Amino acid sequence: MTVKNNVLIVLLIVFSIQSVLAQRARKPTIMVVPSERYCIDQGFSQTFDNQGLEQTIPNYRKAMQNDAQLRLVITKMSGIMADRGFPLKDLEQELRNLQTQDAEMEMLMSRESGSMVAESPIDRLKRVAKADIILDLDFTINERGPQNWITFNLRGLDAYTSKIIASAAGTGNPSTSAPPDLLLEEAVLSHMDEFNSRLSSHFEEMFDIGREVSVTVRVWNSSYFDLYEFFDYQGHDMELIDIIEYWIEDNTVEGRYSLSDGSANFLRFEQVRIPLFMTDPRGRERAYDTRRFISDLSSYLRKEFNIESQIHQRGLGEAWLIIGER
Amino acid sequence: MIIISLIFITQTAYSQRELGRKERKILYNSSYNYEIQPLGVGQDGTKVVKVWGYGKSVEDAVQVAKRNAVAACIFRGIPAGPGVATTPAIVRDPNAAQEHADYFEEFFQTGGKYLNFISLSTDAAPSGSDRLKIKRKYYKVGVSAQVMYDNLRRELEQEGIARRLDKGF
Repeated sequence: MTVKNNVLIVLLIVFSIQSVLAQRARKPTIMVVPSERYCIDQGFSQTFDNQGLEQTIPNYRKAMQNDAQLRLVITKMSGIMADRGFPLKDLEQELRNLQTQDAEMEMLMSRESGSMVAESPIDRLKRVAKADIILDLDFTINERGPQNWITFNLRGLDAYTSKIIASAAGTGNPSTSAPPDLLLEEAVLSHMDEFNSRLSSHFEEMFDIGREVSVTVRVWNSSYFDLYEFFDYQGHDMELIDIIEYWIEDNTVEGRYSLSDGSANFLRFEQVRIPLFMTDPRGRERAYDTRRFISDLSSYLRKEFNIESQIHQRGLGEAWLIIGER
Repeated sequence: MIIISLIFITQTAYSQRELGRKERKILYNSSYNYEIQPLGVGQDGTKVVKVWGYGKSVEDAVQVAKRNAVAACIFRGIPAGPGVATTPAIVRDPNAAQEHADYFEEFFQTGGKYLNFISLSTDAAPSGSDRLKIKRKYYKVGVSAQVMYDNLRRELEQEGIARRLDKGF
């Protein structure tokens, strides 16, 4: 075998490794969050007056600090999910990190000018515990005489489409001998295989027909035009709203999307199926997400119609494009 | 007497037509005929089931039952029971058995790798209602078994037969 052949083989191996490594979709983050019903029922909530309307919201920090059984269930679920290749984001740690971040942001300043870190009100709002898939957990320890049994309810929610993508629920066998902690452990073990099987179906569907995301187009108040403005589209006068819809149709998997609502000032596309991979200008295949998708729409509007816009990302599965100015 | 005899003969012939010897043999040996039910929630990564098997001797039937328990976890899943949720099949592709026929033939051969993933919780040979003599020299036995479900899933994921949850990410 010649040196030339050896070089060729090495190059081929490098290319195939590169393409395998490149073809990885963005992995969704998953976090277990106790349901609102659970928190309120257990007294981990706070009530405040929202413009004359009394509102009760869950206090997750209090729940994580005081509820040993909740922590046990989350730990058990975390172990199972980590084993399946999806280590969970820990709500307790996430809340602690946010608290530390808040303190650091207050204190951090430049050595030269003493400038503070730039943070807009929207940046501050975005500093909350979040994940792409929320595992909404609810359980009840039922008692009747000496018997205990568990009612378990787990829902996997896509944070952007608000759809339930996997679920598992059921009631355990009453027991007089097993303590509630053991019954809770049993409930998790009993339901997680079914739950993960449904989650797996969701991922398989995603790889077949693309990631489901939401896209919203809005107009800055200062813009001199709205979405009903006419533009020249391939020699025809066409409203901007239709031009955007055509672009969405052309760039979604099998043209799958639904224009759920719209007006002169906003357009909301739901069930938008975007491909998981794209080829970048350097010819490499890369993971595709909503930010890149909306960035492509922004480039198209700027190049073809001289429309400036700004992207506002709301996680892996949702983005806004605000047109009129940058 | 003649009428009674006629009725008896007709009945026998009818029942034989409905499920003949050959059909019964096919049924007992069918790879889809898993009679399995959960007995409770197993320890971490395991499933505790009661599973049935057919064989010419009790020992044969026990071996078939063991194989059935593993096969059910792979291809069909375990139905829900009192206080126990449904366990899904590890391999969800209905054609997987045909597509990976060579692997499964070796996996399920006598003394094959499937034995790694099962242990019986009953020591003695089944007796009473768990040991049925369904015809001369043919037994149906029920055994309690523990299937190492998570280990089995990992094995099939490594072989590329089952899909990993994080595949593609």
